[in-house]
Amino acid sequence: MRSLNYVQRVSLDFSGTLFPHAICLGDADNDTLNELVVGDTSGKVHVYKNDDSKAWITRTCAGMLTCVAVGDVCNKGKNFVVAVGAEGWFHLFDLSAAKADSTSQHESFAVDEQKPFFTQHIPANTRVILISDIDGDGRSELVVGYTDRVVRAFRWEEPSDASDSGSGQLVLLKKWLLDGQVDSLSVNPGPEGLPELMVSQPGCGYAILLCSWTQQDSPAACDDHHHHGDEDAPAPSDVILHLTTGRIHNKNVSTHLIGSISKGSKEESSKCGLFALCTLDGTLKLMDSSEQLLWSVQVDHQLFALQKLDVTRDGREEVVACAWDGQTYIIDHNRAVVRFQFDENVNAFCAGQYTCKEGKNSPCLVYVSFNHKIYVYWKVQLERMESTNLMRVLEQRPEFRHQLAALGVGEYMAKINK
Amino acid sequence: MFGELYPFAEDSFSRFPSQSNIYGLCQAGEQELLAATLKGKVVSFTYQELQQKIRPVAKEVQFTYIPVDAEIVSIDAFNKSSPKSGLVVGITFIKDSGDKATPFLNIYCDYEPGSEFNLESIAQSCLNLELQFTPFQLYHTEVQSDDGGREIVFLLSGHDQRIHLYKENASLHQFEEQPVERLFPELQQLPSNVLWMDILCIPDGRRLSAFGCQNGCVGLALVKQCGPEVLQSWRVQFDSPISIVLLFPLICQTEPDLPSGEKSFGVEGYNLLVTSTIEMAVVYRNVHEGGLSHSLCLADSDQWDAVLCALVIDLDFDGQKEVLLGTYGQELLCYKFQHGAAGEEGHFELLWRRSFKSPLLSIIYLDLTGDGLRELAVLTLKGLYILQHSLTSTAELVLERLARRVAALTVDTEPKATEGRNTHEKDIPEEDFALKPSSN
Repeated sequence: MRSLNYVQRVSLDFSGTLFPHAICLGDADNDTLNELVVGDTSGKVHVYKNDDSKAWITRTCAGMLTCVAVGDVCNKGKNFVVAVGAEGWFHLFDLSAAKADSTSQHESFAVDEQKPFFTQHIPANTRVILISDIDGDGRSELVVGYTDRVVRAFRWEEPSDASDSGSGQLVLLKKWLLDGQVDSLSVNPGPEGLPELMVSQPGCGYAILLCSWTQQDSPAACDDHHHHGDEDAPAPSDVILHLTTGRIHNKNVSTHLIGSISKGSKEESSKCGLFALCTLDGTLKLMDSSEQLLWSVQVDHQLFALQKLDVTRDGREEVVACAWDGQTYIIDHNRAVVRFQFDENVNAFCAGQYTCKEGKNSPCLVYVSFNHKIYVYWKVQLERMESTNLMRVLEQRPEFRHQLAALGVGEYMAKINK
Repeated sequence: MFGELYPFAEDSFSRFPSQSNIYGLCQAGEQELLAATLKGKVVSFTYQELQQKIRPVAKEVQFTYIPVDAEIVSIDAFNKSSPKSGLVVGITFIKDSGDKATPFLNIYCDYEPGSEFNLESIAQSCLNLELQFTPFQLYHTEVQSDDGGREIVFLLSGHDQRIHLYKENASLHQFEEQPVERLFPELQQLPSNVLWMDILCIPDGRRLSAFGCQNGCVGLALVKQCGPEVLQSWRVQFDSPISIVLLFPLICQTEPDLPSGEKSFGVEGYNLLVTSTIEMAVVYRNVHEGGLSHSLCLADSDQWDAVLCALVIDLDFDGQKEVLLGTYGQELLCYKFQHGAAGEEGHFELLWRRSFKSPLLSIIYLDLTGDGLRELAVLTLKGLYILQHSLTSTAELVLERLARRVAALTVDTEPKATEGRNTHEKDIPEEDFALKPSSN
């Protein structure tokens, strides 16, 4: 197994503690460059920019933050920072304005600007959130996973005559009840190309949650749902459980999944999407939405975080899994593995595009350690996943053979090709 | 800041169970490395071809007669000069059984035809020599025997202020210690313990020998191989222990580049790089003529703790060698000689530097992947890095140079043909080149 030792990293100061889902990379201030957003247990949201070890912006929320996300949750064509606390407080921050402030060098923010753009109380015990289009209508929904095995989907709705941007609110679309703990939420294109909401289930399983409101067009059915949505147990047919086969030692083992893994081109990726699963006992799987297994890898480390990242810049995203002890696996679609050992235990992990140096997004690995530091490895890009040599690279270039032939040393190449 | 110039991409990293030291890495054969770790383990590192793919393989080699409580000091290996053949591996270690530490030199060599190069079987045939001194660097060099044949011998420096010579006794098929004065008169009566030595054979049957000592003394000698006879010798005193002395040729480019882009090659001069533990690294120029009289400092080379390893290689394929320094401060530094303008003296300039995660102990440049392009093996306190030249950009360079060759060839051979066609196109499509040999 190829193993590497990445060196180029920056360390960011982070004195709090956090939940594993309270970290994400995204364009928080809508400048096309990604920032790192971290929420801690005391309710602070820290936004890091570039290689600055101090947080660029800090915001205070109510309660203990369990998850943060960046996305166009309001369908306004711009990203907001979402922070959700365990007690059920949903906070929305608009950091586009903060960008202007910091450039005009006003050190003191008005108290109003520190406050969330919007706050709403939703059911408590949140665990994981996802901002994505889950029903294929082209608009983003907010999906929240709970510690009590419940998943709820919300949509941001504003009165049609609203002039004030703060007048909208989250409206519950649906509630699903699952058999096992939900460790991750993801969206993956189904066999027909429609997005499917997937949640992980213990024992390397997953469940597809059906967005029944798309099927039930009659207003009566809709009304019925709004009426009973939160009280009634959902119809069992709304949750389609899939258990993957293979060597599963413990059917209760914590499982993570990530979907919509890019296959290289948009057309390919939009149909029969790829998703990956990992378990705490070291199973890693790559599957597509027709339930075909592409590969399975067994490792000796406790995998607790699963991400996707295009480290080779070929358009195809690799699967990145991280273990508590810092062992990180990067695996491509052909099962080529690159290993990296981060030297400390890991509190939380994420991978993605981040603007650390050189003013442009680059693939990064982000580790939150237990000693008040966040380490961003900003140069993790590889030329290729597998070792090779110069001859093999040259043989793939047609002009190489032409030039050798022109120089009269073509016989050698002809022999190789035979 | 130096990101664009750094030519390498990391291809693999192997973590070692225990730390190594500056004498802990050597090349064994064409495409293999041996790394010795403190706790008596020797790891061989190579690339294997399997199912159309090459992959790095690091595995432990069980060298016999190294006890479990041994601590390896140094390792070295060489291929015997023709007509003899076979790989010889030397390992020095200290066996500490509690009451008394005993140093040993083990020499591994297989005389069985067919297995002279098989590391597994070499590791089983051992000559065990007890030493009366604590060993330091184990080095090998070629000497001319009295009958004119060439032979490679081991040189081992020790804490007894001496360098010991181990030479194969052809009739007994084994190595034995021989007096060093007979073959290396320049290596006797040393001022202190030698931490590093380097010997370079130069034309006209001469050699340059350099050694660096614990007390900061550097010795250099120009020796006539035949005899042998010390022609000239020099000494210089530094303020701190010498970590590396390295002799290398460097082209003193005298003319500007030719318009075709090809470099013109000037006269080669021999240079001596000296690194010490607290002072700046120094290059003595043209040592075969002027001894240690003409020196150039490598600016800022003392900024990252002691320099522990050095290498002089052509990293950017321009025909001009660069100086690489590895430091205890976890930095790899690359210096390039910049020729001065007319009448001015040239100087070494820091081209790039790159950080590692632990102190750099040893560096070797060798072709592990078998493609003619060499890789840089970097031994650090925690493990072994293999840095490969960026293959995409190197392939570009090869294609560009080939295209230049092709262009030169067509201009030379067919000047009339192009005139006849009455065209002055410079960009002839590549297909034209490809078709020519087949039509001839």
